Amino acid sequence: MSAADVLAILSGAVTTLTLSAIGILLGLPLGLAMALIRWGRVPLASQLVAAYVSLLRATPLVTLLLLLFFALPNVGVPIGPVSAGIIALTMNTSAFNCEVWRASLMDFPKDQLEAAQSVGMRAGLRFRRIVFPQIVQASLPALINEMSLLIKVTPVLAVVGVVDITRAAVRIGAQTYEPLPPFLVAIAIYVPIVFALVTVQRRIERRRRLLAAT
Amino acid sequence: MNLSPDALDERERAVLSVSSVSKSFGALQVLKDVTFSVARGETVCLLGPSGSGKSTLLRCINWLERPDAGRVFLEGEQVGLTAGGLSMSDRELSSMRTRIGMVFQHFALWPHLTVLQNVMEAPVHVQGRSKREAREQAEGLLARVGLSDKLDVFPARLSGGQKQRVGIARALAMRPALILFDEPTSALDPELVGEVLTVMRDLAHEGMTMIVVTHEMSFAREAANRVIFMDHGAIVETGRPETFFRSPTTDRARQFLLRYASSPGAAGVAGALV
Amino acid sequence: MIHDFTVVWTERSLMLSGLANTVILSVLSAVCALFLGAMLAMLLLRRNKAPVVAARVFVDAMRCTPFLLFAYIVYYGLPSLGISFDNWSSGLLALIIYNTAYMAEILRGAAASQPPQPVEAGMAFGFSGFGLYRRIVLPPLILSAGPVVGNQVIQIIKDSAFLTIIALPELTHAASSIQSRHYVPFAAFISAVLLYWALCLVVETGVTAVGRRADARR
Repeated sequence: MSAADVLAILSGAVTTLTLSAIGILLGLPLGLAMALIRWGRVPLASQLVAAYVSLLRATPLVTLLLLLFFALPNVGVPIGPVSAGIIALTMNTSAFNCEVWRASLMDFPKDQLEAAQSVGMRAGLRFRRIVFPQIVQASLPALINEMSLLIKVTPVLAVVGVVDITRAAVRIGAQTYEPLPPFLVAIAIYVPIVFALVTVQRRIERRRRLLAAT
Repeated sequence: MNLSPDALDERERAVLSVSSVSKSFGALQVLKDVTFSVARGETVCLLGPSGSGKSTLLRCINWLERPDAGRVFLEGEQVGLTAGGLSMSDRELSSMRTRIGMVFQHFALWPHLTVLQNVMEAPVHVQGRSKREAREQAEGLLARVGLSDKLDVFPARLSGGQKQRVGIARALAMRPALILFDEPTSALDPELVGEVLTVMRDLAHEGMTMIVVTHEMSFAREAANRVIFMDHGAIVETGRPETFFRSPTTDRARQFLLRYASSPGAAGVAGALV
Repeated sequence: MIHDFTVVWTERSLMLSGLANTVILSVLSAVCALFLGAMLAMLLLRRNKAPVVAARVFVDAMRCTPFLLFAYIVYYGLPSLGISFDNWSSGLLALIIYNTAYMAEILRGAAASQPPQPVEAGMAFGFSGFGLYRRIVLPPLILSAGPVVGNQVIQIIKDSAFLTIIALPELTHAASSIQSRHYVPFAAFISAVLLYWALCLVVETGVTAVGRRADARR
């Protein structure tokens, strides 16, 4: 493998990280919105969200991605590999995030809400000042876990032609007839990133456990 | 609903007027046609055995529970329902709730805010008062309940009695027309009950309008202007504490007091009944 | 649209054989991974340094590696070791090795939250080593870790879809080839998605059943 090859893989890494970041940033608020719909028991919308989340958590990302990439143009919506990738990542991660947010919301102590109601806080204020700051803290470890899972499935983007780490590795392997080294380089890039996230998650979990014990 | 001029007057003079309130949870009817009112400056104690509906009644006043029937009036204005009988919007209801304070059995402080921030939170974000003004008021109230040294502490570090005193300060910060106390000392260790009752007694003497659901008979005897005894969802007997504790008129009240004669909060009641 | 689904229906034998491959791959790898993971967890729980460190490194490495890349490594790497596996076998091997690490970690975590008394009682009665592990430690562990293991099985089913990239004829691959031959992408992939959903419901039902068994013994 030449230096140019390594450079190609690194530029693929930039693509991977960018698309991961977009998926994460879109998936977090989307998951929260869906969790709030279920928590607020909005008629019809709650059931739709429940079905959507159940379906999406059961669907392999590669299947979802292929569905979007091939089916959307078929019904008249032209879509490129990058957009399909972003949508697939976002749909997938938002479903898992929804369950994380929902668990924190359901665990939320009812009497704190009643106290907020009793001093005349309206729903928006109650959520913004009382609920949200606390559920962010409670959900953080699981949300970071989900981020690390998202990064681990990004190789799927190569399947529809996005020039990410994996596609760069595949291409170099095909050119050099040595498929293994580029994949090992690709893994060498992924492992520290995922490891960093997992370490952050563990540290946050440990700190919360210590605080809870006092 | 036709009201005589006198009745209308009374409703307007009363801080709180509860009229024919009923409430069921599923098949269980918890409140049966309850009617009473509270005048300005009065301290009313709601007494009764567990399950008599006292807490539910209290929670119907600020519409944390929605009555199935009946109406609630705060200073002449209806709570929870508009003039047309429809449910109030979140905005209208919240606006009314700023005038009714509530102190909870399990304190319900907001754990991510310090003591000072807990007391400042609603005045700033609901009433729109300036942070400086809210802080000055909060510091004053916390000094009044004896917690000046705990301003920047988080609730997790406080004892139960301290937490409840913060809860009282938080309710006072809104300058409400009346304060509801839902078994304020029931969750406290016995040695911490006194500090909270002292604050409540002072409030009553200062003329705060209070409705207190409690099992602390000593407080009822010393601080209440009126006692309302409930059983199985209905008001069975009301009267001044001296009369009620010394010579209750109904059998059920008598039985209740006898049972409580052996409990710590009823010191002196047993002797009075003999 | 309905016509598209009819087309998929005519190709149902291909879909079903893809589904069968997915199921067989998932079940085989789940069972093997659980078995091997239990062995590996035993190493993780030991006190002597060397085996713990080696096991720990393996588990952490697998948990930080994307499965798709690992599948590629196994598929392309085995020939250079002189082993020539077909795509089915290397896919299965990749699934097993990868998920052994995850199962080991799950069981280790579950073991950490088990009460020590039943094990101490077992030792007092003379159980030791492998027998202790198999008869005293493992059964309540698997019952209590039921939901998390179930989650991992669902993860295995979804990971199996990645093997379409090494041309393994599982469910997604079947949907893909139906799609490319008949131009019915929506119908083909939706059908696949619904089948995956059904598989997950089956797993979740199994987890609930295990959970009920666990509750009965609590």
